[in-house]
Amino acid sequence: MGPNGSGKTTLLRCIMRYLTPEHGAVLIDSTPLHTMNEKELAQLLAVVPQSSNLDFSFTAYDIVMMGRLPYASSRFIGESENDARAVREAMERTDTWEFSTRRFNSLSGGEQQRVIIARALAQDPKILLLDEPTVFLDISGQFEIMDLLKDLNREGLTIIAVLHDINLASRYCERIALLNDGRLESIGTPQQVFTPENIMRIYDLDVLVRHDPVTKSISVVPKTACVMPTSGGPRVHLLCGGGSGGEIMRLLMEEGYSVSAGVVNVLDSDFENAKTLHIPVVMEVPFAQIGDEAYAQNLRAIEGAEMVVLADFPVGPGNLRNLEAAIWALKNGKKVLIIDPETIEKRDFVGNRAKDIIDELLGHGAVSVPRKTDLVKILKSEKGVK
Amino acid sequence: MTGKSIIPEGGTASEDPLIRIRRRRGMALVGLLLFLFATVLVTTLMGSLGPIGGDPSSERYISFDRAFNILLGSQDAQSATIWNVRMPRVVLAGLVGAGLAAAGMAMQAVFRNPMADPFIIGVSSGAAVGASAVVLMGVAGVLAAFTQPFFAFVCALLTVFVVYRLGTIKGNVQVDTLLLSGVAVAAFLGAITEFMIFAAGQQFHQLAFWLLGSLGNAGWVQISIMLLPIVVGVVVIFMYSRELNVLLLGEETAHNLGGSPEFVKKLMLAVAAVMTSVAVAFTGIIGFVGLMVPHIMRLIVGPDHRILIVASALGGAAFLMWADAIARSFIELLPVGVVTALCGGPFFLYLLRRRKLRGE
Repeated sequence: MGPNGSGKTTLLRCIMRYLTPEHGAVLIDSTPLHTMNEKELAQLLAVVPQSSNLDFSFTAYDIVMMGRLPYASSRFIGESENDARAVREAMERTDTWEFSTRRFNSLSGGEQQRVIIARALAQDPKILLLDEPTVFLDISGQFEIMDLLKDLNREGLTIIAVLHDINLASRYCERIALLNDGRLESIGTPQQVFTPENIMRIYDLDVLVRHDPVTKSISVVPKTACVMPTSGGPRVHLLCGGGSGGEIMRLLMEEGYSVSAGVVNVLDSDFENAKTLHIPVVMEVPFAQIGDEAYAQNLRAIEGAEMVVLADFPVGPGNLRNLEAAIWALKNGKKVLIIDPETIEKRDFVGNRAKDIIDELLGHGAVSVPRKTDLVKILKSEKGVK
Repeated sequence: MTGKSIIPEGGTASEDPLIRIRRRRGMALVGLLLFLFATVLVTTLMGSLGPIGGDPSSERYISFDRAFNILLGSQDAQSATIWNVRMPRVVLAGLVGAGLAAAGMAMQAVFRNPMADPFIIGVSSGAAVGASAVVLMGVAGVLAAFTQPFFAFVCALLTVFVVYRLGTIKGNVQVDTLLLSGVAVAAFLGAITEFMIFAAGQQFHQLAFWLLGSLGNAGWVQISIMLLPIVVGVVVIFMYSRELNVLLLGEETAHNLGGSPEFVKKLMLAVAAVMTSVAVAFTGIIGFVGLMVPHIMRLIVGPDHRILIVASALGGAAFLMWADAIARSFIELLPVGVVTALCGGPFFLYLLRRRKLRGE
């Protein structure tokens, strides 16, 4: 991987010996590339380009059969049984045998790429080189190809691919080589390579990097696309949990407020959200009720804020004290805004106590915010009232 | 194959379409061969000196019966006509037709363009200059009747060499540049030829006649000179037909599949240059054969060059034999190039119609 012009395709072309390196050499299993003859190389290494443009009416079978050229023994004899078998196996492996008699041009992008991969497999290679194989494919085509490649890799095929999609690369590749300006800048696992520092150095982009442990995917977001904490704006404390706070955090920060949050347990997605946005957050251990210390911290955070927003999270015995904190806030003169109080009955898992607290809050001057998206409007009008 | 193989038991239903296609192509080739044989027979018997278009009362008239008997070996006053005039003409047509079609096919592969023809690399413009110069300067000398063909041949090859050099960068043949250099050189040499036409005066007709392409100079000597280059050329093209298939996929892919694209391009250029130059040297510029025949054959037998080369050679031979038979049957001495050009127009209209129907 690497920015445009970093030399990815050039490197690939050196590996396939289409270009000769000016310095250095390519060795495969300690054998220098230039000592192999053309047929040997084609039997060892197969290449899948970005796309294949063909003006002639070859069938898919014809295309895959061309992969057997390195095994042709004579110029006068046609294909052998071996060749026919290899082609059939390759096409069945890639689920393309069903279109063997169809014209290659009439196939979809994803189908064409699979036929090209079949052709590469027909060469019976040990190494497969791919140059941005998914760039012209839609999302289902992309995963089709990448899943196929992953399976082939598990079966023992070495795969080197130029990819541009960090998400795809981190999900499927064991190792990433990051190029810049014709040099290898970093090589290692996706987690090791895709750090904000590397990305800043190579792409000149200030980013936030998020890892998803379940899918192994890494998403990279430029900081300009997301809000960063500003100092100097009025402080709002957000009582949240269960993912209810993420959007509100962003909305508030976009408007220039500085935000704190709590109490959230460390496995809660609102904890991740707060961490991403560098929001100070009061935390609690998972599966525990909000303890006294966390509760006290929460109240202190509220004390330092001008307003409190109560998000629409499901209320259970574990986080009931977040509601109690809202009462405390109101009693101590803080403006309290309640998101979507109408639905409290559906979110109440403490036998109506949550509903009672909400009613009490509304009765004592808390402001109702029917929808999250109304929050900013209401905040502004409240500011005016103040 | 790395990994598990999934070979089903025996041949399945999906195997049949491939075999069907192969059988169809095989039959097409056999059909072509038979057609060619029939063509040879019929066209030898046709002509203004004989059964069609001739004057029955003339002593030179040959009826079908008589012509057939001559072919079977009987002695006749008109044997010489059949064997020394008619037959060589038919054989020459076959040879030139096959050579031009094969060269055209090779050029269509090298340029990855079904609209390429064998003159795309400058053969026709070079030969024209050579042939015209000979007419204008009235050069005779040692070679006598072979002076014009010799100069045409040499100039044609020289021109191809210049075009090749212009289109090759650092030893790599750049097909796009080659095309442009062919156009540029043809334009320049065309201007020279036009000037010579202007300056021709009395020899104008002689000059123009050569340029239109004709099989009038057919003789067994000419055929013996042309036989080797054309036959060897077709065989060499056949030998590299798998590489030509792969060349169509692009330079990089051809390289990755071990198809030696640089070598194959140069070889094809050389072979096509020699075949076409030899043909043009003796017959002038017969257009459209090298373009239409491979194109039509590709529509019939498919793009696989192993079959296409055979189909093109046979088809080209038959086509030119018919064109020449028509040319000499209706107006004596009509240059065959006129007939082939007349076929060109409808051919392109047909192609255009096909494209429109397919909704492209």
